[in-house]
Amino acid sequence: MSKSTRREFLTKAGIGAGVLFLPGISLTVRASSAPIKIGGSLPLTGAYADTGLWVERGYRYWAEQVNASDGLLGRPVELIIYDDASQVDRGISLLERAITVDRVDLLLGGYPGTTAAAQMAVAERYRKVYVSMGGHMASFQRGFRYSFGAPPLMGEWWYEGAFQWLESMDPAERPKRAAAITANNAVGMAVRGGLADGLARSNIELVMDELYDLPLASAEPLVQRAKALDADMFIANGFFGDGVQTIRAMRALDYNPKLILQGIGSLIPEWVQELGEDGNYVVSGTALHDKLPFKGVEELNQVARERWGLRNAPEYFLFGYAWMQALQQGVEGAGSLNQDAIAQYLRTEGIDGIAGRMVFDERGLPPAFSYTTQVINGQVELIWPLHVRTHEPVYPKPPWGR
Amino acid sequence: MLVEVVQAVVTGLLIGLTFAVLAVGFSLIWGTTGVVNIAHSAFAVLAAFLSLVASRQWGLDPIAALVGLVPLFFILGVVLHEVLIKVAARRTKELGLASMIFTFGLASFMENGMAYVWGPGPRVLNTAYTGAAVHLLGISIPLTHAYGALLGLATIGLLYGFLYHTFPGKAVRAVWQQRDGAALCGIPLHRVTALTYGVSIASASVAGVAMALIYSFTPATYMVWLVNVFLIVIVGGVGSLLGAAAAGLIVGLVSSLSVLVMPFVWTNLALFGLLILVLLVRPSGLLKR
Repeated sequence: MSKSTRREFLTKAGIGAGVLFLPGISLTVRASSAPIKIGGSLPLTGAYADTGLWVERGYRYWAEQVNASDGLLGRPVELIIYDDASQVDRGISLLERAITVDRVDLLLGGYPGTTAAAQMAVAERYRKVYVSMGGHMASFQRGFRYSFGAPPLMGEWWYEGAFQWLESMDPAERPKRAAAITANNAVGMAVRGGLADGLARSNIELVMDELYDLPLASAEPLVQRAKALDADMFIANGFFGDGVQTIRAMRALDYNPKLILQGIGSLIPEWVQELGEDGNYVVSGTALHDKLPFKGVEELNQVARERWGLRNAPEYFLFGYAWMQALQQGVEGAGSLNQDAIAQYLRTEGIDGIAGRMVFDERGLPPAFSYTTQVINGQVELIWPLHVRTHEPVYPKPPWGR
Repeated sequence: MLVEVVQAVVTGLLIGLTFAVLAVGFSLIWGTTGVVNIAHSAFAVLAAFLSLVASRQWGLDPIAALVGLVPLFFILGVVLHEVLIKVAARRTKELGLASMIFTFGLASFMENGMAYVWGPGPRVLNTAYTGAAVHLLGISIPLTHAYGALLGLATIGLLYGFLYHTFPGKAVRAVWQQRDGAALCGIPLHRVTALTYGVSIASASVAGVAMALIYSFTPATYMVWLVNVFLIVIVGGVGSLLGAAAAGLIVGLVSSLSVLVMPFVWTNLALFGLLILVLLVRPSGLLKR
């Protein structure tokens, strides 16, 4: 081979190498600045739209914050949120669409529990981390590796704090006989699931345990029976509509138990707005609250005041934000978008966010916890555990109208 | 135990009358024109929302608001007939089936409209007497239930008087019984059916207020109410005013008494068992129209 030929060869090789490497470099540069796509579905219309819209606002505010700072892994985030119209089957197909068509890097958690539970199976099939409320305990007992409740909305833990509070009382002051009514569906049954153990620990006898199908035609017969059985604790494992009926029936029948536990419904603003004073003193549970003393909660309250003129951040705005915050910490902890690494990080290191510190077990759940709330003077106050208490509990509940 | 039984009977009767008033208008249209108006309960929910607005914005008692709501809903019923039903009746041979589909569409449209205006969240109608009750010999009668039942009783009574003691009412009954014969006798069919729609939807407004006095509601609640309406109309007999009233009372009594003799969760089993029994023994319902 002549000198010129060798030079020619080296020149060509250099150009060739440049041609080969340059697109790679530009591709790398482009990839590192391209947004991280995060997608899924929420009920933006239909039966759960009221709550779904607040979850969406939580997601979007989180994205806004991340993009205004350094991004996620140095890249901006882009949310792709489909409307599943409050239908589980649409939630499933839209999540699949986000994964297979939009090729999202990360998944958004769905709502409500029925949709989240179904989407958890989709996420597992595609090996994608899925942070949501889950669909109560059963949904976390399927051996899934990529699903996390951060925090979960766990019916079985709902009254855990309330029973701890009752156990902290002088036994003579505690209620003696409990009457429970439960909506005959997955949520009602999940909430009812934690009752037997809590009542036994508190030495409270369960004298009535009735199920009812929704819609509840009339609460009066159930309330009358509880009154006749002399139950001084009434547990209504239901929702807003039947909860309202129950409260009205209790007042109309002048039934005054020492304590009323209400499943779902007393935490949403409508409970206080619509029931007025009759909604007071009802005790319930939650996994997240606008008065929790954790970093970031007050900032979100401020956002709710400025943007929507609310007194405090709605619960599902907080949930939406908390789930994204958990995902963010998982990604940053793993240092990549590798789904196995993110899941591993969440299991071993945990997170510290607006819902407090959480480390997740094999099921993707933190240790059992619940904050106990009581509606006092139209405000949903935290009464248990002590370190988060915002108001002394009102116990026994004053008679109606006093 | 006696107090419990009497309390359950009283509650059942009050609730039953409220359900009955929701069902009578539905039954009236079905019996007269063969139209299964799925949107009937959506009109009731609309009335509930309007009474809520009247109560919150102008401080009007929901029952007083009926002075405006009943004529308004009468007009809505006539418009429904003129704009939708008459056109559909002209263009289809299967009016019963077609009417179910397009009134379902109308109900969905109304649901979305109500959700747009008032939001999808639950609402509660509060009045000065909400939560108050009359106590008699250990029995409590919630005033909301009592007023709801009185509204039901008054509406059924007025409808009975209209159908059996007025000329237009007799014309409506004639159209039920023999449409062609009524036409041959010179009864204007279109005018009578328009009147029937007006009366039916006006009764839905009363039912909406009566139901809202007792239950919370959302724009989607019409579907829940519709299940009870179907049950009552089929048990009572399609087109039968007194049948609907009797069936409403039976449904109310079964709902409230069942807790005394069996697990409460079996209530629907008992109700739908009753429905199957009626369909087997008296397929045309308890009472003739």
